[in-house]
Amino acid sequence: MRRAAVFIAVLVLAWTAWDTGADPVRLGRGIPWIADFLRRMLPPDLRVLPAALLGALKTGEIALLGTAVAAVLALPLGFVSARNVAAPAIFHPARLALNFFRSVDTLVYALVFVAAVGLGPFPGVLAVVAYTTTSLAKLYSEAIEGIDRGPVDAITATGATRLQVLRFGVLPQVLPLFLSYVLYRLETNIRAATVLGFVGAGGIGFYLQTYLRMIDYPAASTVLLVTVVMVMVVDAISSRLRARLV
Amino acid sequence: MIDVAGLRVVLPPAVVAVDGIDLTIGAGEFVVILGRSGAGKTTFLRALNRLVEPTAGTVHVDGRAITGADAATLRTLRRQIGMVFQQFNLVRRVSVLDNVLAGRLGWARSLPTLLGRFGAEDRRIAHECLAQVGLADFAARRADTLSGGEQQRVAIARALAQAPSVILADEPTASLDPALTGSIMDLLKTINVRRGLTLVVSQHQLETALAYATRVVGFRRGRVVFDGAPSALTPAVAATIYGEHR
Repeated sequence: MRRAAVFIAVLVLAWTAWDTGADPVRLGRGIPWIADFLRRMLPPDLRVLPAALLGALKTGEIALLGTAVAAVLALPLGFVSARNVAAPAIFHPARLALNFFRSVDTLVYALVFVAAVGLGPFPGVLAVVAYTTTSLAKLYSEAIEGIDRGPVDAITATGATRLQVLRFGVLPQVLPLFLSYVLYRLETNIRAATVLGFVGAGGIGFYLQTYLRMIDYPAASTVLLVTVVMVMVVDAISSRLRARLV
Repeated sequence: MIDVAGLRVVLPPAVVAVDGIDLTIGAGEFVVILGRSGAGKTTFLRALNRLVEPTAGTVHVDGRAITGADAATLRTLRRQIGMVFQQFNLVRRVSVLDNVLAGRLGWARSLPTLLGRFGAEDRRIAHECLAQVGLADFAARRADTLSGGEQQRVAIARALAQAPSVILADEPTASLDPALTGSIMDLLKTINVRRGLTLVVSQHQLETALAYATRVVGFRRGRVVFDGAPSALTPAVAATIYGEHR
């Protein structure tokens, strides 16, 4: 049984390697080209730094606004897709909808919204909202499902309404987790938003793509450096905040 | 005060936890439900305010039917039934005062409470109840910074804040240091004597039951096997309640 599983796994992987044309020799022959590419990127062209910083700011704005809106929109969705709170008639369709919309990546949403509202950061914000709302709703609902039942019973026993039970028995238990998830999503959204510019949805990705197309590698490397620094700074701040929450 | 007739609770999948109980409890009584763990004490108490839905039978409080009551009626009836739990069931992350204020939820206007606002009168009652359990200075502390005994006192204050006519206490001392059992039971007794509240307390400890009860009801396998004064509880009766050791 176990041997058969290993054999099948090896077979599948071998086939995928063949089908994708994975070839270490080809990679080896490509290394000089990568080295050449890196050499041509250095030194970074700092004249484009103001433009890169402006792009980074836009990207940060897209991620921040998108995440904030999604954090709020996901709240009711999180509650209706939690097994221990919602009635089965609501819970099952809600979960199904979440899983459906969550399977589409931010970049794909960006393509749709660029077509719908035109180029610029706005479709980027919409794309972040679309993906983050469903992914946060899923995380929220799992947090709600993991709560301690005791306080919920105690609040119910006081004669509280259903909404009051959610507000006083459930919310205080899950709020720190919710905030932690929102911060985590902000981190990943900053990263996701850096490429939104590739499809015309604004931010620093637009500059990166433009300079790469113009074969202006030193300028592109400045943009890349700014991106890396921005992501690292946001990660550091966010993980510090998250450590305080739990 | 409390009239229970033919009460039967079958828990999923098919456990008969309460198997046909008839019991009338008068105002001002201190009733101890005595029995081994698994005898149906907890399920019985939780069926009284329908935290657990009875399978058959009726429960009346002050002549008003709890069983079969619609949601709004059930809430007003729950208001007058305070409940204290073995695991205290406080909301751990919020302040002691907020926990006690939760006892006012059934009385306060719903909308302001959802925003976390309580009227001056509700706050006055909450402070007064905290003082009554000897924790007047603990109002601002976070609930999870308190010791087990203190947490159970807060839970009793929460029940008192409901201005109930009866308090159900489910093994209130079972998760506490044996040294604290007396102080919590003393507190419940004081409430019973001074405020004239009816108390229904489940216990698995014979000595505690005998020391505090005005009436002992012995449970065994979901049925009443003894009902009488503590003085009538002979060793033979105790053996019936606790069963043979095998």
